[in-house]
Amino acid sequence: MKPRLGALLWLGMVTAVFADDGKLSEVLARLRQSGQASFQYRETRQLELASSPWQAQGVMLTDAAGTLVKLQLQPSRVIMAISGDSLYYWDAAQNQRHSMPISYADDAAAQILIFRSILQGRTQELQAGYDLAADIQDRHWSLHMQPKSGQAGENAPSIDISGDANPDKRQILIRQADGETTEYRIEKAAEQQSAAYTIPQLLQEAGGE
Amino acid sequence: MSFVWRKRWFLLLLPLLLAVTLWQIRVESDLNAFFTHTDDADAKLLSGLLQSGELSRRYLLVVEKSAAHAEDAPGLAAFSGKLIQQLAQLDQVEQVWPAHQPPRDWLNASQFYAPYHARIFSLNPEQDAAALFDQEALPRRAEGLKQALLSPQGGFIKTIAKQDPLLLSLNGFKTLQAQFQQPGDAGALILQSRPPALDSAAHERLQAAIRARFDDLNQAAGQAFSLSMAGVPVFSVATRDEISRDVALVSTASSLCVVLVFLLLFRSFAALHWLLLLQGGAFVVGILATQLIFQQVHSLTLALGASLIGICVDYPIHIMAHSAKHRTSPLANARLLWPSLLMGGLTTVIGYAAMGFSGFPGFEQIAVFALFSIAASLGLTRWLLPALLDRTALHIADLPGIAGWVAFCGRRRTLLLSLIGFAAVLAVFSLPQLRWMDDMQKLTINMDAIKQQDATVRAHFSSIEPGRFVLIRADDFETALQRAEAAERRLQALRRAGIVGSYHGLFPWLSSQALQAENARVYDAALTTQFQDAWLSALNHAGLSTDKLGQLTPAGTAGLAPEAVLETPVRHVLSGQLLAGQQGAALALWLGDHDPAKLAAGLQGLAGTRYFSQRDQLNKLAGQYRDRSLQMLAIGIAVMGFLIWLQTHSLKNTLLTLLPSLAAALFIFASWALLGEELSFVHVIGLLLSISLCVDYGIFFIENRGRDSNVTYHAIAASTLTTLASFGALGLGKTPTLPILAMSVSLGVTLGFLLCPLLIPKTGPA
Repeated sequence: MKPRLGALLWLGMVTAVFADDGKLSEVLARLRQSGQASFQYRETRQLELASSPWQAQGVMLTDAAGTLVKLQLQPSRVIMAISGDSLYYWDAAQNQRHSMPISYADDAAAQILIFRSILQGRTQELQAGYDLAADIQDRHWSLHMQPKSGQAGENAPSIDISGDANPDKRQILIRQADGETTEYRIEKAAEQQSAAYTIPQLLQEAGGE
Repeated sequence: MSFVWRKRWFLLLLPLLLAVTLWQIRVESDLNAFFTHTDDADAKLLSGLLQSGELSRRYLLVVEKSAAHAEDAPGLAAFSGKLIQQLAQLDQVEQVWPAHQPPRDWLNASQFYAPYHARIFSLNPEQDAAALFDQEALPRRAEGLKQALLSPQGGFIKTIAKQDPLLLSLNGFKTLQAQFQQPGDAGALILQSRPPALDSAAHERLQAAIRARFDDLNQAAGQAFSLSMAGVPVFSVATRDEISRDVALVSTASSLCVVLVFLLLFRSFAALHWLLLLQGGAFVVGILATQLIFQQVHSLTLALGASLIGICVDYPIHIMAHSAKHRTSPLANARLLWPSLLMGGLTTVIGYAAMGFSGFPGFEQIAVFALFSIAASLGLTRWLLPALLDRTALHIADLPGIAGWVAFCGRRRTLLLSLIGFAAVLAVFSLPQLRWMDDMQKLTINMDAIKQQDATVRAHFSSIEPGRFVLIRADDFETALQRAEAAERRLQALRRAGIVGSYHGLFPWLSSQALQAENARVYDAALTTQFQDAWLSALNHAGLSTDKLGQLTPAGTAGLAPEAVLETPVRHVLSGQLLAGQQGAALALWLGDHDPAKLAAGLQGLAGTRYFSQRDQLNKLAGQYRDRSLQMLAIGIAVMGFLIWLQTHSLKNTLLTLLPSLAAALFIFASWALLGEELSFVHVIGLLLSISLCVDYGIFFIENRGRDSNVTYHAIAASTLTTLASFGALGLGKTPTLPILAMSVSLGVTLGFLLCPLLIPKTGPA
């Protein structure tokens, strides 16, 4: 290889790497968030054993302590929450209530942990288990997260997060290893909607206290 | 061999023997080996359960948050979670989990049953079919399935639903959750250890490691938490500590008392050091022989063996007393007294042998230990002692009152014999009042504080008791399973009646082929076209895939084999219930709170099924030991009498020799009867020992080979004192068997000693 061509290639690679790192930093900066927040969401799940996509909507609440409550309002009221090291689940219609250490929950419960990392911008947690690739095109940005081989569990999902100029809106696509997908469209909740729910009250309800 | 060479050989061989013994010895502190190891089938079962039963290896841990730190400290659940992670890393820990959450692999093991759903869905398939195959309920079940797939347990449910769309295989597991505590007590943890429950050395290390891990975490949490432990291993370690203390105390006190008595009598350190070396040699021979025969020496053998010092020392003392009084050589006295010494040693060995045959496993070891120690002591006394004492000047102190008592007995013999005769008649009449101990717990160490802690800790858990269960026996495993299923149906009824709170059954983890066939029959009958259509409709309505969940296949013929089940993690779940080492098959259904009498009555009529209580089993064993020990008492006396008759060829002398010891035993039994003392086999064994010792006194007194009753009686007094000193030291022990033996033997030898000059006429010049 000619020395000039080699130098050009090296320069090109370095530029590409730095350019990618720059995009990733920018995307991660968009994800970063601290303190309390409320989102409304629409969820679409493609289950292997379901005949059609299943849809739900509700609100998600997070706080600075790392608590995440997902309150499904439609089609029925279901609370799933993580607080401290515990996971809570309460399906009022089916009268099903579970609480367990997060470490005890199975792969499906890992989703809510990832969700917490995404919503709260816990980028270090995400980077520990995933290879991240960011892209920014005009006003649109996206982050593709691929489970690191050997580090994430064998059933760890791949995740795509995307958004546009509106910092309050995001789209999250979670693709399970078995082909099942869950898509969330979330946006910051209106103040009035946020005020209707509080984390302690929902945790109390989920815990059955 | 000359005296010089005898001494040299002894001094050369003793350290060698000691070194070999120290190299070979393995001291065992497993109480099970001492108390319950017998050939009886139930005792074997009990022994196996105590040795390695899953529940017996289980620790119950309770972490509590102290009120003083309640505000600042981390949450109890978080702390317990960290502790679980720490404890799981310990080598001796098999598994540790929160009391309200079964280990995840137990839960996952239920997925293994999905393909067999049609064969295991109910213990009472006919009865449950109406509810399980109710077509009206199918829409609700389909909706429930969908919600389960959407829940955090979705992955788990999906695996099952693909093979078992109706989730029938989970039906039997619904009760599993009831075996665990309801959520709320985050500090209640269960730790499954690896070492057998009674391997107290391993458990002592494990308990120290558990506390160390807890202390480290607690320090980081500002000392906000406390830890309590319960379980069989906790008792086993505490017992070991007590026994170790007893062994050290009894051995030291016994040796010291014998030394003091000897010094008081002979005032010679030179004689003392030879005597101690001689006894040390006999003791080491006893230990080595026991080790070689049993492959281990129990620490209680060492404790009780220490009392043998007081017996073995009698043989040299007789020679030394005669040598001191008559100013004759020890060699001459060894030759003179040898027949009496041999007979005395033989009767003592018979006493210990009878004790060994009482059925109490720990006494077998002690009997062997005694046999070899006494034989060695006799041999060394006969052939070595004269060499050791060749140049040692011997003196013996006059014991006050000895001559006076002999003279008094001679003067008032008629009156005293009348009184003794009258007392003997009264004693015989009081014997029916004897009370027998029916609770073997009274023979175990009092550990009220630990029992209290155990009760407090257990209050945090569902109350499955490790010591009481329903025992199922059968010639083959299939029959045993069928019997277990019948017993479970009965237990369900008893639970509804409030007689038992909860129980750990085997269904649905294991199902008999008969029950599987019954389930399959009911399932196939319920699987009508109409039912299948209704299920498809319910799936459609719930938005679930009819392609993947709509096929309800017939039960088929392939059954679920127990061997296949036991290759999965289910073997851990059931390991405490499949009782190994039995002829045929034995299964256990563990019980929670229950009324023993009503439960036992409720199980009546079920083949091969009965209520088993470890405590009752121990008491039954105690009863067997007592009966055997009484038989052995009679046999031992008969054999001793026969041997004495063989030597003397005189029935009168035989009876006279036995009389003081028999009279002493009678009076002691009568005293216990009048005092209301509860008697156990240990009391009887103690008296048997005292008889075998007192017979020695009778032999020495009646043979009176020195032809001087005063000297003979002095020698007997000296040996009585050493026996009292050594057996009296057993009274310092906290293990109840030791004080009982101390009392029985001490009373027996004292009375026997006092009665000798009264009941046996003098045969030589005073």
